[in-house]
Amino acid sequence: MSSTEQGTSSAAPAEPTTAPESAAAPEVPESFYYVHGKDKVVHKVSAGALQHSALIHGMISNLGYTEEQAKANPFPFENIDGDILQMVVDWCNQHKGKPTPPEDTNLPKQKEKLFDLVLAVNYLEIKELLTYCCKQVAMMVKGKSPEEIREIWMIPTDAEDEAAEKEAKKRAGKEAAGETAAAAGDAK
Amino acid sequence: MASELQNLTEMTEKFSIDPVYETNWCDLSEKIKSKCIGKMEFNERLSLRCTAKAERSLVDSQKNEFNEGRFEGDDEKFSFFLNRNDDHKYSKRWMYINEAFELLKYIKKVGTFENLEISFSHPLTDRKHLMTETGLLTAKHVKFYHCNNDNMFAILRKMKDGVESIKIHLDRKDYDQLDCDEVLAIPQVQKVPNLHLQNYDQTDSLRKVAKMWIKKKAKIGTTFQLSVNEEGSFGEFTQHFSNRLVSCTDKTIRIRANKLDRHILLEHGPFSDQFCVIPQYFRMMVISAEMKESEYDDNREEWIGNMDPASDDDFRLPGFCYDDLYDEDYDDYYRAGYDSD
Repeated sequence: MSSTEQGTSSAAPAEPTTAPESAAAPEVPESFYYVHGKDKVVHKVSAGALQHSALIHGMISNLGYTEEQAKANPFPFENIDGDILQMVVDWCNQHKGKPTPPEDTNLPKQKEKLFDLVLAVNYLEIKELLTYCCKQVAMMVKGKSPEEIREIWMIPTDAEDEAAEKEAKKRAGKEAAGETAAAAGDAK
Repeated sequence: MASELQNLTEMTEKFSIDPVYETNWCDLSEKIKSKCIGKMEFNERLSLRCTAKAERSLVDSQKNEFNEGRFEGDDEKFSFFLNRNDDHKYSKRWMYINEAFELLKYIKKVGTFENLEISFSHPLTDRKHLMTETGLLTAKHVKFYHCNNDNMFAILRKMKDGVESIKIHLDRKDYDQLDCDEVLAIPQVQKVPNLHLQNYDQTDSLRKVAKMWIKKKAKIGTTFQLSVNEEGSFGEFTQHFSNRLVSCTDKTIRIRANKLDRHILLEHGPFSDQFCVIPQYFRMMVISAEMKESEYDDNREEWIGNMDPASDDDFRLPGFCYDDLYDEDYDDYYRAGYDSD
């Protein structure tokens, strides 16, 4: 599992706990990297777990960081809420080096968290987790009518969409007119 | 190294998406939405496409892969049954044909079927829907069960290329009306690797199919299976192709095709008992000219069982006659196998 630290990215992470290696296998030291989200809580994650994220894996594959450098330079994901990043890190750790199961029942059921998770996972390019999340999103509307779906997912009707578009055009027109008037004033 | 780290930090910042609060469906990109729609069942997709224009075009841009589709109708009602896998089924019944065809039109557009069964037993007075519709049905295995012939021809002509098998299970009331030439004139039938005709009541189909294969240079492996409620198909075939005969026994006939590398092998299935010689079962295949007699698949009961599962047990009943089966009870029993849900 990952270790998390409150505070700044420079805080020293806890030492990872590793499973005992078999006597025959040569001991290969596992490398660790550090990530933090909007809440600045730093998560220590093994390179093995991070392999799930194509984005991070692409970043670290040629870095050759030492432990110190990695600790000093956590990857900032300011766009991802801390609790969402925690979920992602936990999932990556749980599925490190394992084949992913066909179902994942531990994903959040709450609408807001799930959509945030979808966005984060898509951004971090974690293919399998995105598949689970999309399935979970689909499950949210199982057996629902169009009206219920519209309500659950806050989908505007076509009329609302058109009205919003009209309003936006109107506003843009006003702004453009204002800018023209200001430019004319400047010219005088 | 310092510049590399700087680049990396900039990279993650650049990738950042705007902070999102109260995230919802509308915040997802079209790509992610499409992925979610891909996980939805047919019913939910139909509901989602009714919410807004943008959602409709997204839903309609995706194919629905069904393991099974069954479309049934008579002069009073229509019902559709769609099955993606065992857990996800969709069924609907209509009293008005136009409503049913609206959905059929949509299904043609977005659906692909592993197994498709059509059973429109009555002539559709409003068949123009089927005839004039430009969309094509996509399916691997198609079965017509007690389907009105004109409906069947119209649907067959609307099948997209790639059909692997066509099974025509004729209604007892209709089988004398089926014109084999009309069936074999349909391009989709000419191209299909496996054609199966059940309950046919004339002796001409074997020779006509073989003739078509010879003309169209059918590929090795192409198969025709037949159950016919009339004696004489085997003799008619032998007589017709006497100048092409390679070998002949009481169970098999082998003839030459126009292409030197292939022959056509016709196998006669066993009779149920000595008193009852119908239905007669046949299997005809395009084989390699190199194939030896010892290489023939000799398990007739197996291929007849696959062809007509009901026949399996019937063969073992003493004094059984096929006509005994043809009453309402049998029909109900047969359908029950499909209507279990």
